[in-house]
Amino acid sequence: MKSSKTVAILTTMNVLAWITFIGLLIKAGAILFSYLVSVRNPEAAKNLYLDLNLSGIREYDFWHYTGIVSMLVAILLIEAYTAFLVTRVLSKIKMSNPFTLEVVSIMERISYFIFGTWIVVMLYDAQIGWLSKNLQGLEGHYISGEFIFLAGVVFVFSQIFKKGVEIQSENELTV
Amino acid sequence: MAIIVNLDVMMAKRKMSLNELSDKVDLTLANLSILKTGKAKAIRFSTLEAICKVLDCQPGDILEFKNE
Repeated sequence: MKSSKTVAILTTMNVLAWITFIGLLIKAGAILFSYLVSVRNPEAAKNLYLDLNLSGIREYDFWHYTGIVSMLVAILLIEAYTAFLVTRVLSKIKMSNPFTLEVVSIMERISYFIFGTWIVVMLYDAQIGWLSKNLQGLEGHYISGEFIFLAGVVFVFSQIFKKGVEIQSENELTV
Repeated sequence: MAIIVNLDVMMAKRKMSLNELSDKVDLTLANLSILKTGKAKAIRFSTLEAICKVLDCQPGDILEFKNE
């Protein structure tokens, strides 16, 4: 009963991770497309994606604007890849044999990518912070500390999972 | 590993095949094979007891310690 409930939860999480992955890719693609349009037409910077207005930065300096958009797209792509890795973990896990080295390796990769997100978000926040001295009405959108915390938590879980692999292998070789 | 499993020796002494032992101790052939080839990492007391009962021997006849 409990096992079937866990399977149902993991299946739901897998579907949600796929939706997140596709959603983030669409968002990244939309921002990139709007940016390309805004290169020729500065008006497009007023609404890059769902009221994301970077026209102030676009008018201030094109290269700062390019930098900000690049980092936004990079953050979204790393997040999308992380969501994709989550779908891989959820599709690889089998309730009869949940602890495998492959899952551990994917979980470690997830923690590294969240750590990577933290670095890009820090750069993004720093640039927004620097620009906000010259431009009014600009604020950093992210709380960068959360990403490193999350990366740490996932890394700890992956190490616990690694121990689980050892225990499972011992259990399988117990007669 | 420093622990040597002498199950095959005892089986030969009792002239018992792996299939026969598997039936009598109620253990799968795969698990018995893991034990016989020394791949096992642990053995349950219940398994050891069943094997000793069927082969009419002591645990020391099946398991041996060799300092490597």
